[in-house]
Amino acid sequence: MSGSKEEEKVPGRSTSLPMSRVKLIMKSSPDVSHINQDALFLTTKATELFVQHLAQYSFRKGCGGESNALGYSDLAKAAEESEPFHFLTDILPKKILARDYLRSLEERSEDSD
Amino acid sequence: MDADSSTTDPAQLALPADYIPPGHFVLQPHEDDGEEGLNDHEDSNGSKDNLREQDIYLPIANVARIMKNAIPPTGKIAKDAKECVQECVSEFISFITSEASERCHQEKRKTINGEDILFAMSTLGFDMYVEPLKLHLQKFREAMKGEKGIAAVSEGIGEELTDDSFSELASACAAFFSQLGVGNLPLPVHCFNRTFLL
Repeated sequence: MSGSKEEEKVPGRSTSLPMSRVKLIMKSSPDVSHINQDALFLTTKATELFVQHLAQYSFRKGCGGESNALGYSDLAKAAEESEPFHFLTDILPKKILARDYLRSLEERSEDSD
Repeated sequence: MDADSSTTDPAQLALPADYIPPGHFVLQPHEDDGEEGLNDHEDSNGSKDNLREQDIYLPIANVARIMKNAIPPTGKIAKDAKECVQECVSEFISFITSEASERCHQEKRKTINGEDILFAMSTLGFDMYVEPLKLHLQKFREAMKGEKGIAAVSEGIGEELTDDSFSELASACAAFFSQLGVGNLPLPVHCFNRTFLL
């Protein structure tokens, strides 16, 4: 992966993300006891692909405007619109402005009167 | 010549000129683990035992670097987007792992292997990753074959030494070598994420 210092040491077995940390996250899943080397490597590499994929998709879809900056809302949009990213919708709720929320609360309480 | 059992005379120990006396060791901190805690957040207490599943993240610098390389060079990334992707990443890993783990259990196996991971990718809508991953795995296996016989490890395949066990090991080695008069000494030992010359 570009930018990784590990590339200079041994190409082919290096990763841009630390495998030890990936292992920690994997082990925090319930009922996971042992993870073999291949599985750890594949998960780490897949995670790199995932970051690239998510960033690229969100940027492309989101930055139609002038900002040219990838922001939270682009990611939330991607989670909603692209099927592989649906699993992220719970942790990427679309943000609304506080005043809009308060307004909708008001409207709801008016309706119930 | 052997009267002093704790000699540190390099000539006696037949050591290379840059021998560092026992008690001193060269530490090479792992590049990607330069971050203080696991979360890179101010309120991290650093204790692994207290961390909840949702609190373990990959270092934000690494994540941000990959994101940066995935978008056009003129593009920018908001800080909250970086943090957000950091969380998405942990979610992704857990997502894949649970699926793979389930398959493992169904087949009455205890160890998650490469096939389980690839199968999970396919099932969960990431089948476009499978072919590139297989190629990467091939390169990985070839690279690992070349390393056979050397005790070197890359970033943490296998257990990382805690600071305590590292000190214990270093002390034990120091004590061992201080008892040698002359003799053969091992080549520099690469120990997980740290290298020390004895």
